[in-house]
Amino acid sequence: MIRGSMMLQGLIRTFQLLAIAAILAFLLAPVLLVFPISFSADAYVSWPPSGWSTKWYVALLENDEMLEAFRNSFLLALYVTVLTLLIATPAAVALARSTFVGRDTLISIFTAPLLLPSIVLGLAILIIFVGQGLVGTWPGMILGHLVITLPYALRVLLTGLGTLPMFVEDAAGTLGAHPLTVFRRITLPLMTPALVATGALSFIVSFDEVVISLFIAGTQLKLLPVSLYHYVESRTDPLVAAVSAIMVLGTLLIVLIMERAMGLRRTVAK
Amino acid sequence: MYLKVDSLEKRYGAFDPSVSNLSFSLAQGELLGLLGPSGCGKTTTLRMISGMVAATSGRILVGGHDVTGLPTYRRNMGVMFQSYALFPHMTVAENVAFGLEMRKHSKHEIAKRVESALAMVRLNGVGDRKPRQLSGGQQQRVALARALVFEPDILLLDEPLSNLDAKLRDDMRNEIREIQQRLRMTTIFVTHDQTEAMAICDRIVVMNKGRLEQIGTPHEIYETPATPMVADFVGRINRLKGTWRSDGAIDINGSMTIRASRPGARGAPVLVMVRPHRIGLVASGSAIPSAEHENVLAGTIRQVTYIGDTLQYSVEAAGARILVEKATTSAGDPFQSGAEVLLHWSEQDTLTFAADGER
Ligand SMILES: Nc1ncnc2c1ncn2[C@@H]1O[C@H](COP(=O)(O)OP(=O)(O)OP(=O)(O)O)[C@@H](O)[C@H]1O
Ligand SMILES: [Mg+2]
Repeated sequence: MIRGSMMLQGLIRTFQLLAIAAILAFLLAPVLLVFPISFSADAYVSWPPSGWSTKWYVALLENDEMLEAFRNSFLLALYVTVLTLLIATPAAVALARSTFVGRDTLISIFTAPLLLPSIVLGLAILIIFVGQGLVGTWPGMILGHLVITLPYALRVLLTGLGTLPMFVEDAAGTLGAHPLTVFRRITLPLMTPALVATGALSFIVSFDEVVISLFIAGTQLKLLPVSLYHYVESRTDPLVAAVSAIMVLGTLLIVLIMERAMGLRRTVAK
Repeated sequence: MYLKVDSLEKRYGAFDPSVSNLSFSLAQGELLGLLGPSGCGKTTTLRMISGMVAATSGRILVGGHDVTGLPTYRRNMGVMFQSYALFPHMTVAENVAFGLEMRKHSKHEIAKRVESALAMVRLNGVGDRKPRQLSGGQQQRVALARALVFEPDILLLDEPLSNLDAKLRDDMRNEIREIQQRLRMTTIFVTHDQTEAMAICDRIVVMNKGRLEQIGTPHEIYETPATPMVADFVGRINRLKGTWRSDGAIDINGSMTIRASRPGARGAPVLVMVRPHRIGLVASGSAIPSAEHENVLAGTIRQVTYIGDTLQYSVEAAGARILVEKATTSAGDPFQSGAEVLLHWSEQDTLTFAADGER
């Protein structure tokens, strides 16, 4: 009897592992496939490639438009991340610390854009920006991305602040620390993991944003997702695979940073 | 009076007030115990005194000055939190040093005082560790050191010894008392352990459901409790329900007559309370010493429980169960279950309370 049930359990475990592997393969296959294709020697995307080369990476380095778009997207993501942190941190602290009526409603309103389809947001932003002459400009681009990153940032930071150990800020107060000192010496260090996560998330979201960028980048300001989008409209060579491979690696790097930060939180918190 | 709490009230939202109409005061250097069951508002009271939560109404005065509106960081009160609230990202030494740093002491001075504070709580040598690397009891002692080290005007301790073993608890209790007296720190010591409060406090406030039940010296609280709740809370006690007779005695169930030192109104219901260890126990038929002001009752022992330093007898007398406690001796128990005995206790040890309000 006992042997039978153990065998049954083993069988169930095997099935579970197989199911997990299948799901992972399904999710990751497109991402992983990008790497071999980017080293293809063919002139178009095909599977399996008939030969191997690094020529599409060379082509990428010689493609001025892609390089400019890459640089712009990187800078944009950087500006957006910094601004997001500067705006969302005080906002999150204020929201987390105060207890006024309607606080939860306010938080819901602030984070509502997370639920809107970005096409709706993009259209709304476009309508407003056209009148202000912001389309195709850096300030316009930054503002547009902030609309998306700020709600994310607020959510992550509020969660982070919610998990701070109880009363440590009060304790610092009783020891004679001015509220600003409490923030600098206690709150900020304890919410560093949440800040790192927020920064990484903002960067990825801004760097990857297609729809809003498509609406308001115009033709002068070249951004990587938009340029890629236009590129694949006319051509299907493995250059896009090379770009994608680099983006996947970059994202992986950021996720690793986040993971480390979260691991850090576990060691910092009680 | 150095610290004065005047009709303090705290309401959280629409709930019943957590603390209401609370007034008491402490002389400089006094150690006041705040005693009461869980949820009675002890922590809330400390949080109002230290300024961490605003009182809904009432005033707090320190040295004659109204500090009700003063922010916490300007009150110079050392607070030890029930949940310790140590800074997880700092070492033990940095935790303890924080208050001194805020007061801009020199590096050398800080190091010296942190060291002696840690020695005081028996934690030498763990200064470089993070709080999470310590046991609960060790963390509690770090919290104590952190609250004491900057020698605040007022010390507020929220259950400072709850997580320590019996031996260390006694040591730390006496240590706190010694330091508190040496530095003449005005101190409030929150606890729900009545022996702890009795042992070191000059006076004790007993709280119940957010209200002050009684304030007095440990002796007053124990010997003349103002309410049944206080009598019940500060030690084991027998409860009997009866009625005042016209001759000033108390009738219980029509089968038992008891005398108290202070008679009450005839016909009124009365709650009688007697402490188990104030009841004498002799074999049936023997003479009772000084029988004049004694209540005497015949009964049968139903159960004997041995708990090391005391023996507890559950005695059936006049239809009720009465608990009697005696110190143990090496000679062994004098009475067995089923033995016929006489219970006797003096009129002074008979506490009586009007039995109308249900407490
Ligand atoms: N922030 C809060 N919001 C709402 N109610 C609260 C809050 N803090 C405390 N209370 C309520 O106030 C009452 C008193 O709580 P308090 O923490 O002062 O009790 P306590 O005497 O310290 O109890 P314990 O011995 O368990 O620590 C409780 O009923 C509690 O539910
Ligand atoms: Mg408490």
